[in-house]
Amino acid sequence: MLAYVLKRTGAAIATLVAASIVIFIFIHLIPGDPIYVMLGDEATPEQVEALRIRMGFDQPLYVQYFYWAGNVLRGDLGTSIFFQEPVTLIIRDGAETSLLLACVTMVWIVALGVPVGVLAAIRQGTWVDQGLSGIAMLLASIPTFWVGLYLILIFAANLGWLPSSGYPSIFEDGELSNLRYLLLPSLTLAAPNAALILRLTRASMLDVAKEDYVRTARSKGIRPYRVVLRHILRNALLAVVSAFGFTFAALISEAVVTETVFALPGIGRMVVQSILRRDYPVIQGVILVIVCLYLVINLLVDISYRFLDPRVDLE
Amino acid sequence: MRNSLRNLLSGAALALLAGLAPITGASAETLRYATIGEPPSLDVHMGTATIAATIGQHMFETLYAFDSTYEPQPLLASGEMLADDGRTIVMTLRQGVKFHNGKELTAEDVVASLQRWGEYGARGKLLMANATSVEATGPYEVTLKLSEPNGAWKSMLAFPNGGPVIYPSEIVTAAGGDPIKPENYVGTGPFMFKEWRGNRHVELVKFDDYVGVDAPADGYAGARTAEVDAIRFIPVPDVGTRVSGVQAGDYDYAEFISGDLYGVLKDDASVKIHLSGAPIFGLMFMNSKEGPLADNFELRRAIHTALNKEEALRVSVGEEALWKANGSFYPEGNIWYTEAGTEAYSVGDPEKAKAMAEAAGYDGTPIKLLVSTNYKTHYDQATVFTRQLADAGINVQMVVVDWATLLKKRAQPDQWDMFVTHHGNIPDPILLTALNDSYPGWWVTPEKAALKAKFTGTSDLDVRREAWSELQALMYEQVPTIKVGDVYSYNIASPSLKGLGATTLIWPHFWGISK
Amino acid sequence: MTTKLRSFLSVFTARPIALLGLVYLVTILVFALGANLIAPYAPEDIEPVNRLSPPSWGHWFGTDHFGRDTFSRVLHGSRLALLIGVGVVSFALATGVPIGIISALFPRIGRVLMRMVDVMMAFPSLLLALGLIVILGQSVANAILAIGVIYLTTTARITYGVTLRLREETYVEAARSMGASTLWMIRRHILPNMISPLLVQASFVFAFAQLGAASLDFLGLGAPPEIPSWGNMLAESRIYITRAPWLLFYPGLMIVLTAFSLNLVGDVLRDQLDPRFREMLGNKQRR
Repeated sequence: MLAYVLKRTGAAIATLVAASIVIFIFIHLIPGDPIYVMLGDEATPEQVEALRIRMGFDQPLYVQYFYWAGNVLRGDLGTSIFFQEPVTLIIRDGAETSLLLACVTMVWIVALGVPVGVLAAIRQGTWVDQGLSGIAMLLASIPTFWVGLYLILIFAANLGWLPSSGYPSIFEDGELSNLRYLLLPSLTLAAPNAALILRLTRASMLDVAKEDYVRTARSKGIRPYRVVLRHILRNALLAVVSAFGFTFAALISEAVVTETVFALPGIGRMVVQSILRRDYPVIQGVILVIVCLYLVINLLVDISYRFLDPRVDLE
Repeated sequence: MRNSLRNLLSGAALALLAGLAPITGASAETLRYATIGEPPSLDVHMGTATIAATIGQHMFETLYAFDSTYEPQPLLASGEMLADDGRTIVMTLRQGVKFHNGKELTAEDVVASLQRWGEYGARGKLLMANATSVEATGPYEVTLKLSEPNGAWKSMLAFPNGGPVIYPSEIVTAAGGDPIKPENYVGTGPFMFKEWRGNRHVELVKFDDYVGVDAPADGYAGARTAEVDAIRFIPVPDVGTRVSGVQAGDYDYAEFISGDLYGVLKDDASVKIHLSGAPIFGLMFMNSKEGPLADNFELRRAIHTALNKEEALRVSVGEEALWKANGSFYPEGNIWYTEAGTEAYSVGDPEKAKAMAEAAGYDGTPIKLLVSTNYKTHYDQATVFTRQLADAGINVQMVVVDWATLLKKRAQPDQWDMFVTHHGNIPDPILLTALNDSYPGWWVTPEKAALKAKFTGTSDLDVRREAWSELQALMYEQVPTIKVGDVYSYNIASPSLKGLGATTLIWPHFWGISK
Repeated sequence: MTTKLRSFLSVFTARPIALLGLVYLVTILVFALGANLIAPYAPEDIEPVNRLSPPSWGHWFGTDHFGRDTFSRVLHGSRLALLIGVGVVSFALATGVPIGIISALFPRIGRVLMRMVDVMMAFPSLLLALGLIVILGQSVANAILAIGVIYLTTTARITYGVTLRLREETYVEAARSMGASTLWMIRRHILPNMISPLLVQASFVFAFAQLGAASLDFLGLGAPPEIPSWGNMLAESRIYITRAPWLLFYPGLMIVLTAFSLNLVGDVLRDQLDPRFREMLGNKQRR
């Protein structure tokens, strides 16, 4: 077991290093220049050149990489060109929104996707199943921003029930009710993902139902709902829970569009804005953190999967 | 597993409860302003971003400030004396003005700020390149000596966009040519810097020890009283979200609202329209250094002849109350308004343009039009022009990039033939970018140089106005840039804001405003 | 051939709604091919005096802020939708399938290749696509490439998995022990068995490519804005959601119906699939 954990961890670290190089090269291939954006429409070429040298952009690329990577190891992701503020602080600021949005979204996904998926599986083949699966597929086919725009129009601008946009920190304001700012965005983001979880739950329920031990349980005369709850659901959820991990990691970056529509100060929107501003340190830092998060979740899922179900051989 | 499920379920209940809880926003005394984007540095010396000027003017002050007719009035200065035909300017400062760090403003701070602005500032060269010295000639007296008289000196000192705001001398000296860091945003204004949270907001709070001018508020001049405790500038890039945010009460003020929403919002009781009193105008620059348009003034005039500006304005702005097809670089009523050359402003005659282009030797070479989508109006106007030019047989290829790429590309003469941008109202023609030889487009001709010398060489207003009208005529003849037309942008405010006038000046300001 | 076609269609008779989806997709294909003939106006014709007019007999879907005919633009948009879909699917298959097969058959190369796929999968997909577009510049080809890269990884993984299964199958083992060449084995046993799983994968990728392209367009980094794609139409008119709702409604509806139809078709096809491969497809699709 320990050897397995070490091996997986080593692989994850190697992936991270490779990813960091890719990120760095990628980002410096982006045309456009942060200096121009900073100095504005009317900067002179001399002004631009002077600032470029002060910022170290005249150094060769590999020197800039090692400088950056060295600092990252010391926990320093650099300083935003645009904000003149440490990238770690910027990420910490955006992380509250992004993580909380992902959490609230996960609540919806679990609360809607799993029970409805179970229901569809129990009623397999009936119109209930077909209807629910059809709705799920429809939800997975709608562009999130389209839904978001209509939700804002109806619930914020017309009815005035919920705030339209933005998110003031619940920790800073001490107002738990600020969570209501995340209600519409999380529903927007949850719709397609809940649909996927629904389908996954249904599928793995049906798979497990075919297993021998379920048939044995049935033949022993155990009541059907007990079979569903004790045997099928528990085992089917194993696959579903591992999908939660990936869904959660994906939500952080998938939220880019939702964060843009709802003007949420999350890290996804921060990356898009930083790409437009050519704020290299922020793009690098945020993507590195997202990749890291993905790898960690991946690792935990793999290890816990192995831990929970020794039958699974992963390599 | 069962436990984690239970936790998740209680989380869902929590989220639902939170949704139903009574709505309690930020405290009532914080004014929330939804901006189109985030400012680059708020160091006003260094950049010309509109948003930096809008925020910065609440914290930092200039020696002079424009009143509601754009006449410069003393702000940190209390008055001035001119000598030596206007070559020597002696300004006296108001006494007892406090910086946010408690220090009193003295001549030393003004000198250090003007020097830095002159050396590194975005617009500093225009005035300070001709300065032979700037010295403190007393604790509250600053003497500026110029090698040539400059009729626009006071306007330049009053212009807050990329302008000479006064910082404490020690901060200016330490910063040199680097942008000042947020922790050193110290000025004399009615609001002081509290925090800048990237992606979230810039927050300013009331400065209790503010010492203002003892005169009624008039435009940017006169008294500046902070009526609210704090102002938050919140970036909300999507215009639809800005509008619904004000309608829903999440913001008190939102800027840059699309012209097409005007009709609906005008009759909407949940918002108040705040129309800009000063137009902004679109410009399409021509490359005078390289490519098919360099030096081919005839071809440029052919292009100009093909354009129908009204169509471009109608498409890009919509609402007719918000635009004016005005060929003069200044709106009617402004002291610089002149109709010289404007008969060529919006001909819109494809046949004539085709003939002119042929006569100019145009052979169908594609003309690269650089435009960014970050500004919807730029893109809309470029699309209309491309279509109109195609009708005249002029082959335009749009190169659509984001704003950052455009800024970089346009600095390289081989990358483009035309590009689209816009400028705000500018108090003095000398501040027009087209008159700046090093601005992309690089319009440098002997005729221009002669007229520019005539314009800046005197402080006699009549001579300057005459020189300006000749310059404008020359701009229609050599076509370094094409003016699209005047656009009156507007912002929207919550009806509960008190003290807003019917219109705003160039940059909306929030002293004297309460909610 | 006719029996094959009949069995193909019989798949759909069990799920009539999927048949509707198929009909819709064929209609879109007709629209795309005949856009020039069907559309009453050229998509780029501007008519400023007639801007933002609501749906009418002259303009079925109304006009946008340039005064362009929305119906004609929606028709031409179906071209781009197909182009993006076909492009992304081709790219993903052309790159992912060889990577997957080679990795499964030659474990030594495979370890390196699949590790590279792992690295790519670690990147947030939408951000990766955004980055690629900013680097390469905005064009339809680059949008296809950027989205294609996302599905390269999933396609490679699926191909890898399917090939491994097939390789283990006894008849393949047997063929190999009899001295068959690798190429022969790929052609004779692996590719034919690969067609149906890949067809299912292709229909899902096609569907998600529509949504991905729309997201990129919405962020202003997809197809160049002068091209009438459904996503661009939405991005351009989002500020008119109250003033001219038809501008948002029709292109959005087209995206939804297209993605929905493709998902339905893919789902039905998957149900017909050999159960050995079914679990690899569909449920864990990246968006």
